Amino acid sequence: MSVKIAGDIQSGNVIMVENAPVVVLKAVYNKSGRNQAVVKVRAKNLFTGRISELIYKSDEKLEGVMLDKKDCTYSYFAPPMHVFVDSEYVEYEIEAETLADLEKYFCEDMTDVCEVTFYEGRPISVVLPKVIVREIEYTEPATRGDTSGKITKTAVLKDTKHELQVSSFVEIGDKIEIDTVTGEFKKRCN
Amino acid sequence: MRRWDIFCTVVDNLGDIGTCWRLARQLADEHEARVRLWIDKLESFACLCPSVSTAAAVQHVDSIEIRRWPSDFPAVDDADADVADVVVEAFACELPATYVAAMARRGVAPVWINLEYLSAEGWVDDCHRLTSPHPRWPLKKTFFFPGFTPKTGGLLRERDLRSDRAAFDHAAQAEFWRSVNVAPRTDDELRVSLFCYDNPALPELLQCWIDGATAVHVLAAPGAATEQIARWSGIALPPGTPLCRGSLTVQALPFLSQPNYDRLLWSCDVNFVRGEDSFVRAQWAEQPFMWQIYPQTEGTHLIKLDAFLTRSLGEGDRAFNVGGGQLASSAGPPLEDGEKIGWADATKRCWHAWNDPGGEHTENMASAWQSFIANRLAIQRHGKLWANQLDQQSDLANNLAHFVQEK
Repeated sequence: MSVKIAGDIQSGNVIMVENAPVVVLKAVYNKSGRNQAVVKVRAKNLFTGRISELIYKSDEKLEGVMLDKKDCTYSYFAPPMHVFVDSEYVEYEIEAETLADLEKYFCEDMTDVCEVTFYEGRPISVVLPKVIVREIEYTEPATRGDTSGKITKTAVLKDTKHELQVSSFVEIGDKIEIDTVTGEFKKRCN
Repeated sequence: MRRWDIFCTVVDNLGDIGTCWRLARQLADEHEARVRLWIDKLESFACLCPSVSTAAAVQHVDSIEIRRWPSDFPAVDDADADVADVVVEAFACELPATYVAAMARRGVAPVWINLEYLSAEGWVDDCHRLTSPHPRWPLKKTFFFPGFTPKTGGLLRERDLRSDRAAFDHAAQAEFWRSVNVAPRTDDELRVSLFCYDNPALPELLQCWIDGATAVHVLAAPGAATEQIARWSGIALPPGTPLCRGSLTVQALPFLSQPNYDRLLWSCDVNFVRGEDSFVRAQWAEQPFMWQIYPQTEGTHLIKLDAFLTRSLGEGDRAFNVGGGQLASSAGPPLEDGEKIGWADATKRCWHAWNDPGGEHTENMASAWQSFIANRLAIQRHGKLWANQLDQQSDLANNLAHFVQEK
């Protein structure tokens, strides 16, 4: 067992909740005004399969679970399972439902090294690298004169068609860095 | 009769204890709750409630048991007897470890509620009533978010508040002014209550009132408002002695009880309020008001401010520029010379000037105030509609009591 700070939780982490391991499907951090920062967590119980929504103060110390992990790459989707492969070409299947928050980044030619987590020998979750690079398939033309990045517009990622907000100077064909924890645009790659 | 323990720490102001005190009384008066209120600083509470003894570890005020919350909270021997059926930790305060351990030992686990600060932001709707299982003990804490929609915990509103407000007539108002040693109002004056944190925009506003054509009578709350005016004028401002400059008269008020503070809000033309408790009461007062939100680093409070403006004003008289990522700078486009702005824009601009003086998109305070006051009657009409809309929703104490009943 290990200590996990609630504010550091991200999709794919496994924590103990009421004596059962749960895999985090989605974690959303909220903070404003005098309200304490809180993390809303959508999690799946690995014993029962039940999905629940929980909330924690962001500084809450939770019980993490020490699990086996292996570096893999994404291979393909065979509904309802996503398939990952390790360096020895062993395939591991994980339910799409468990990876719902990450699917927007999956495409068959992706080369990102993903961390597959195993619980009692069974692959249960995936953590993507904190930063990934994706190509923009479509966005409106760049706004002239804005180099600050403060003005944003919607862009569509190649392959997955996922929409996100990017700086106004980003153009079709650009490659961008995305923070997979927050889901936000970080910067345009040179 | 259920037993409730409400835990409250006084951080730096009186808003937290003010809210807890109202909640405790309403639970006792309207929901047959037996309430213990644990407070770490009785000295602060005594400002709100002068009958409180700062020396007593245990005392009763009205039907509420008041307990001093010591820093070295003792071990709880008899969990079933000494832990309440419902435990409320208010505003992120941390319960004593010995008390939490006793909660876990209790035959029936108490209903544990984390009462959060008020916010109009959308995420509050999604987080209200979510639970937080304790990492070590077999206990679950439910997060309760006050708010402005039926998906939240609602606002504090006593059963008789609105009827008391409606019954507050001219005679009652005159009696109230007498009781606080303030002269009766005259027909041509604007009467303003001022409760604020130290505010860089205040000197400009005071100068605007001095120079204006309308007589403005400001009633300043004790603490930051009175102290800042005293520093600005260079004259001490004891309660009861008016300071007159140009069209402005300023008078410091003594500390008012919560019922008398309500009467003050009902009696003034415009109310400046701050934090959470007075902010809620100003909405029930149905008079135009200016809210100074508790300032935070990195401007996070401005997001919360705009969330309320957007929710309460809606589209108003002109759609607001509140698209993705622009909430904190949504004071609207600049006006052309001679263009009149509507009441909603005027409200938004003035609140921004009051909360973000010197901000990139902020208008100067004097000009923002002129627009606000020119739209005062329309703002007042909207305030009544807004209060009526809020009144359709269940109140916070009622929602808490029903939530506990469901358990």
